[in-house]
Amino acid sequence: MELLLLGVSHHTAPVDLRERVDFSRRGVTTALGELSVRPTLAEAVVLTTCNRAELYVTCEDPVATVRDLAVFMSRFHDVPDTELAPHLYTHTGPDVVRHLFRVASGLDSLVVGEPQIFGQVKDAYATASEERTTGALLNKLFTSAFGVGKRVRADTGLGEGAVSVSYAAITLARKIFGSLEQRDVLVVGAGEMAELTATHLRSQAVRSITVTSRTRTRAEALAQKVDGRAVTWSELPAQLLTADIIVTATGAQTPVINRTQVDEAMRARRNRPLFIIDIGLPRDVDPAASDLEQVFLYNIDDLRTLVDENLARRRDQMSQAESMVSDEVESFQTWLLARGSIPTLVALRRHFEDLRQSELNRLGPKLNGLSPEARSRVDEITRLLVQKLLISPTERLKNAGDEQTAAQYSEVVTQLFGLAEPLAGETTSTDEHASPPPKTKTPVTS
Amino acid sequence: MTILLLSLYVAAGVAYGMHFARRDAGAGRLASATLAAAALMHTFVIGMRTVEVGHLPFVGAPAAISAFVWLLAVAYLYTEATTDERAMGVFIVPLLVILQTVSTLSDRVIEPPPVLDSPWFAVHVSSLLFAYAAFALACVVGITYVLLFRELKSKQLGFFAARLPSLQVLDTMNGRAVGVGWLFLTAGLAVGGVWLFQLQPETADPRVAAMTLLDPKISVVLLSWTVYSFELYARRVIGWSGRRAAWLSAIGFSIVLLNLVPVGYFLTESHNF
Repeated sequence: MELLLLGVSHHTAPVDLRERVDFSRRGVTTALGELSVRPTLAEAVVLTTCNRAELYVTCEDPVATVRDLAVFMSRFHDVPDTELAPHLYTHTGPDVVRHLFRVASGLDSLVVGEPQIFGQVKDAYATASEERTTGALLNKLFTSAFGVGKRVRADTGLGEGAVSVSYAAITLARKIFGSLEQRDVLVVGAGEMAELTATHLRSQAVRSITVTSRTRTRAEALAQKVDGRAVTWSELPAQLLTADIIVTATGAQTPVINRTQVDEAMRARRNRPLFIIDIGLPRDVDPAASDLEQVFLYNIDDLRTLVDENLARRRDQMSQAESMVSDEVESFQTWLLARGSIPTLVALRRHFEDLRQSELNRLGPKLNGLSPEARSRVDEITRLLVQKLLISPTERLKNAGDEQTAAQYSEVVTQLFGLAEPLAGETTSTDEHASPPPKTKTPVTS
Repeated sequence: MTILLLSLYVAAGVAYGMHFARRDAGAGRLASATLAAAALMHTFVIGMRTVEVGHLPFVGAPAAISAFVWLLAVAYLYTEATTDERAMGVFIVPLLVILQTVSTLSDRVIEPPPVLDSPWFAVHVSSLLFAYAAFALACVVGITYVLLFRELKSKQLGFFAARLPSLQVLDTMNGRAVGVGWLFLTAGLAVGGVWLFQLQPETADPRVAAMTLLDPKISVVLLSWTVYSFELYARRVIGWSGRRAAWLSAIGFSIVLLNLVPVGYFLTESHNF
């Protein structure tokens, strides 16, 4: 059984194509349903986010399955094969493991270290698990991926620091005020940036949001969106007295709030801290206001600098995270190999156990004179002997260095012990004593 | 015993340093545990001393400083437990180590003079020590406020922004610590004044006679009282919170420290027991 991955992501496809192959449009469940009836596939998980659409499957024949999946993807999304094909990538075996581990730890994300992807991978797995399209291999792969994602986040600084301007503003506000729940927000201007930041602040459960804009209707529209209240432009100076956080994003060519206004407001508010986020271009607040005690004035460039620093710090953490991922890929491969040799190991154990039982049966008459206690002792000794004999072959088979060696070992063991053939002594022993085969024995085909 | 106690404080200081530098949660827990062990042992040492000499061991500067260290450790651990903030430990514990070293080096058992044999004594000393512990916390919180304030103002977020709680939290903590400290300081001074008023007509001890506003111990403590009273007033009335309040509490506590060590050891003629 082979691991196989086929997908598109922000690395390979432009946004308009990614939008068209987004599985959530027609439903991941539908996709899983269609995948599960394909004879080539054993297991399947569909991961879909705004930056990627990926199919994780297990199959017997990767080459044929890749073609099959590509066709499925183009038909499911109604995107011509020729258009989709150049943007698809596929991985098999250990590369799938590495890819998923990197995705889950945020290493493959557009914004390295972003936390949402971890939850999205979890959701993808949960859905597939509910639809019963996962089996032993994908179960282990995804649970390992969650472990890796958590470890990377906990042990590296990969997820630290705000990496978007509006989130950086929230982080700063929290450093100044702590919880934002008792804070009043004033939004000056009603453009896109103002809306984005106001929405973020709303999600922090601020006490109130007041919006003002030169165009009354736009202020009202934004106020409605962010569950706030619109006031007229002339009320701006009065609003400076009550707000804790001011977001300015107007299209004005000259500052709409000057130093004197802020200075007067600060006196009236008796120096209660004031955090001003000026994301207007050109600037809406006179930079000189920054000199005032307890005024924290950040403009768009200051915020961008913070974001860039955080991004640089994340990149520094990447190599550490990558090496953690590599370690985890290796240990997953070991598990996979051990799993590959399990049938051989089971056969080997069964073979030895059968031998033991048949010898005990053969010696049955001679042991008849022994006390029940002594007989059970004999049984125990033989059992322990078999166990000890099998310790090192078991270890070696489980920890074979690579797939090829593991296959060779399995083959050699099968040949040497004749595991593929029926047990030689089997027929004779049952014939001799005409006793029914022990329950542990497998049905013998001859 | 005292050396072991001192080394526990040193170990806690090292652990808090590691916790602060590396933001390692394990080191943080270790630091808290070590400091708690030190405080517990300190309680035991003070208890033993009490049994040994038959009264609370507050007589003389070394004993008073040691009691102050114990109070501050307990007060800090309480703050840590209630705010879930370990960042302050790296500033507090070194102070504990320095003061405990001073106290250990100069430690001696003192028979209390008859003049101190009064129920006022324990109230007077313990409320002042408690006030000093609160002021120490306020000072440390104030210093961290200023460090974080600078980073936020200069827009260079880094070391402290990643480790300290918000400005608002620090400012509130500072205000509360100064408020509590001021109450105890005022109570301690009032008790001292009343007690002195009772003593002066009847006692021949020259130290009692020296208890005037001109004695360094008394004038310096009144100076610190003035500074803290001003901080509280400025906070409520002028709106001097934040950085200015932080500076005032740092100035106030440096006066307290001045009173506790150099004045207490060398200069005072009234309180040299």
